[in-house]
Amino acid sequence: MIDPLYLTAIILMATVTYLTRIGGYLFLRNRTLSPRLRTVMESAPGCVLITVIAPDFVSGRPADLLALFITLMAATRLPILPTVLVAIASAGVLRHVLGG
Amino acid sequence: MDEVLEVTDFSSADTRPWLARGSEGWRGLRDSVPVMLGFVPFALVLGAQAAEKGFSVIEVPLMTGLNFGGGSEFAAVELWTSPPHILLIVAITFLVNSRHLLMGATLAPLLRHLPRRKALMALFFMCDESWAMALADAKKAGGKLSLGYFFGVAFGLYVSWVVFTTIGAFAGPLLGDITRYGFDMAFPAVFLVMLAGMWKGPNAALPWLVSLVAAGAVHIVIPGAWYVPAGALSGVLSAFLLARNQ
Repeated sequence: MIDPLYLTAIILMATVTYLTRIGGYLFLRNRTLSPRLRTVMESAPGCVLITVIAPDFVSGRPADLLALFITLMAATRLPILPTVLVAIASAGVLRHVLGG
Repeated sequence: MDEVLEVTDFSSADTRPWLARGSEGWRGLRDSVPVMLGFVPFALVLGAQAAEKGFSVIEVPLMTGLNFGGGSEFAAVELWTSPPHILLIVAITFLVNSRHLLMGATLAPLLRHLPRRKALMALFFMCDESWAMALADAKKAGGKLSLGYFFGVAFGLYVSWVVFTTIGAFAGPLLGDITRYGFDMAFPAVFLVMLAGMWKGPNAALPWLVSLVAAGAVHIVIPGAWYVPAGALSGVLSAFLLARNQ
């Protein structure tokens, strides 16, 4: 039930995450970060998230791109649950109509 | 349960058992309820997607319980292959969670009255939401974090996250069959909602656009997961260059 490689990846993920949680407390508490470094660190999570879903934006399938656009509109206006429902429904319907 | 009982003496001003009605822990748990509910759909989608990527129903709570960082777990699962690219996953986890460094630094003054061991325990449960709630609460209380309150919040959020990601892993295979044709779009949907939550205006989001373009271009040209470091690093680099010009 537990794959050793999965377990290794999970434990290393958890270790790195815990280090980010205690790192600021242990090493940055008596230091002032430059505004520049602060800006970079604030934008990094968003850069990673958009990167991970970038392949969806270049899939070249009209149904998927249209559904992604509808999802984007929903995400900027609605909470998570309705957005997910809109995403699933629009992708399902558009793929059926336009072909996947 | 020993773990829980030990927490009892954490809140110096409050002698009631932790999480007893009316205690600091209770107050934290009560405050966390709306966020707990907000976690549920994220957790279900994550658990279901992880199951689809080959996670067992033990591996899912193992990840969400040990790592306890939603954004990094979504990114990891999306990039997960069998066998997993461990270095890629760990590096991406670090990048997504690097914001914790700033958060921990801002929380540090509020933890000054605590022994280091307790502060390090509390920090395990620091996520975007518990951090924001702890900060707001400590401000009202004169700049000291109430550990009882914090663990009340953390308990609610942690249990909600681990339990519902596990339920997602159980329910995923069933859900996947019913909604097969659009289910995968739930994933970018979650990411876009997370991004909307981080939105601080078009200027601050410019590096995101750089990441999107770079990652998309690399994905078209080079097979494999190279688009991930390419997109993430070019975004971070552009943030660094843009920050100088501001």
